[in-house]
Amino acid sequence: MNGEAILPYIIIIPLFGAFSMPIVSLAGRKAREAWAVLISALTLVVASALFYHVWDTKEIIVYTLGAKTPFGQGVDFPIRIVWEVDLLGAIMVLTVAFVSFMAILYSIGYMKHDTGLEKYYTLILILELGMLGIAITGDLFNFYVFLEIMSIASYALVAFRNDTWEGIEAGIKYMFVGSIASSFVLLGIALLYGQYGTLTMGYMAIKILENPTVTAKVALALFIAGLLFKSGASPVHMWLADAHPAAPSSISAMLSGLVIKIGGIYAMARILFSIYSPLANKILEAYNQPYINMGAIGWVIIIFACLTLIIGNAMAVIQTDMKRLLAYSSVGQIGYILLGLGIGLAAYGTQTGEVALAGAIYHTVNHALMKALLFLVAGAVIHEVGTRNLNELSGLAKTMPKTTFAFLIGAAAIVGTPPLNGFASKWLIYESSAVFNPVLGAIAIIGTAFCTAAYVRVLYTFFGRPSERIANAEDPETSMMLPMLLLVLAIVVMGLFPWQISDKVMIPAARMLEQFKFEYIQALISLAGGA
Amino acid sequence: MFGYWDALYFVFIFIIGLILAWLLNEWAKNSGMGTRETGDGTKIFISGEDPDRVVPGFEHLEGHFTGRNVMWGLTYALKRFFTVLRADHTGLLTDYVSYLLITTAFVLGAILIWG
Repeated sequence: MNGEAILPYIIIIPLFGAFSMPIVSLAGRKAREAWAVLISALTLVVASALFYHVWDTKEIIVYTLGAKTPFGQGVDFPIRIVWEVDLLGAIMVLTVAFVSFMAILYSIGYMKHDTGLEKYYTLILILELGMLGIAITGDLFNFYVFLEIMSIASYALVAFRNDTWEGIEAGIKYMFVGSIASSFVLLGIALLYGQYGTLTMGYMAIKILENPTVTAKVALALFIAGLLFKSGASPVHMWLADAHPAAPSSISAMLSGLVIKIGGIYAMARILFSIYSPLANKILEAYNQPYINMGAIGWVIIIFACLTLIIGNAMAVIQTDMKRLLAYSSVGQIGYILLGLGIGLAAYGTQTGEVALAGAIYHTVNHALMKALLFLVAGAVIHEVGTRNLNELSGLAKTMPKTTFAFLIGAAAIVGTPPLNGFASKWLIYESSAVFNPVLGAIAIIGTAFCTAAYVRVLYTFFGRPSERIANAEDPETSMMLPMLLLVLAIVVMGLFPWQISDKVMIPAARMLEQFKFEYIQALISLAGGA
Repeated sequence: MFGYWDALYFVFIFIIGLILAWLLNEWAKNSGMGTRETGDGTKIFISGEDPDRVVPGFEHLEGHFTGRNVMWGLTYALKRFFTVLRADHTGLLTDYVSYLLITTAFVLGAILIWG
């Protein structure tokens, strides 16, 4: 199988699906739903093939848009847009495609009382497309375009139910501050382009290695600030607690499960490791040349990580709104992922750093599954009971047993109960943070104590005496139950093979990202011969 | 082994936790105001939740320390922290922008000084 041959379809299929949606919608509701499911299923098939190819060959796929090589005729530098997929990118592609497929499947039942669904399905496919684009691109400006595609689709979907003030207010707030954060990222790209005259990530890495200027540092600061916002890190997490609960639950699942990871964490990891290569800076430091201190940048990320995991999880404890609780919990979990990423950078080149980075990647995937499941459960509860106030949901386990079971599994996994999937990834982060600096390990455990308190409270409510409000509730229809059960299955199965997944997928992904042999740059340069 | 989990750790920690909880309970019994073996005099103050009050739907847990007690302890001990957190989450767009600018300034300063 040729990885380069299948890569374009990861964009072509959802793009075609999104723009043909209004026409297909003319054939009726069933056709529209079937089209959305078909498109997202096909995207999942391509994503699985892509992941398998990269995992199997351990080779980075480089694809040039419109030519065989990104290097122009008569010049020795890349001028065309390239897509470059390493194992981390492939993992992200598979996660995005899987969770999006679940969300679309769930939407069939969940959104059936809504109108304007041709716009909804178009936007959801565009959202998926934007995320997939971010995961595969190797070009900085192309990355910004996909980031904006994803962000604008998110703003619109948050405010999709425009008959309530909540969605509109949250959408406007999200759009306003999100646009400022995006403009920081754009300014960072403009500074780098002005300084180095290229937008290709791999080539930019070489240029920064040759001459790491103050401009490169300023651009890095703008990237980190903008992407911390996009990932929902404290203290710029407040938009998330407004936006994620206000969106329809299928969208909340994608926002919390995917958007903050791809648009924030993944993008940050890509920029830090593939453009500002820590290895290159270590070499420069060893030769007393000007360099960028990536260890210090790792510590900056660690500071935000600690703040995020304490504030996010603590705020989850005092919420009475179920979806708001889940949103704050997402903030808390982003803290763990940032902690892994920060330690991966600060302890670069050591086993501790590698395990922390693998833990961060692993937890990104696990949290995508767990949080998608929990938001889908919240959606089922809202769909059946009509409220998300926890004080009114007492005894839900009696009338919605399957939904409560799904929540139980999701909550146990997110808290980090063995043998579910959340445990393995959190363990890698705890262990590496405790080895790196015991204080960080202690902070991570305190965050988990808050997280446990928040979820135990919800479970206590669900297993209490049935209130009048939930008397007529029942488990939702099959199209809503099926995605929840599939996510439960994924969580349980991934929990059964934690170290196999870690050894065979996450550690190799972390190694590929760390670029001990400049693999990301080499993959691009290897195409220069064709110019 | 680093990067892997040994199930024994979990068992050890769980046993240590149980011993600590038992010691704490014994200590509370001894330092209680009561002089009798049974009845009100021996009651341990475990939380603001009245242990004699039956929680609807949880009658079978009457007299036990439940998650509600722990929850009360957590929120009571951290009341001031939670109050500050709550007050900080104003929901105002201007505050969101301010935090974004402060974060950017901090990151920029840190990278220019130490980076």
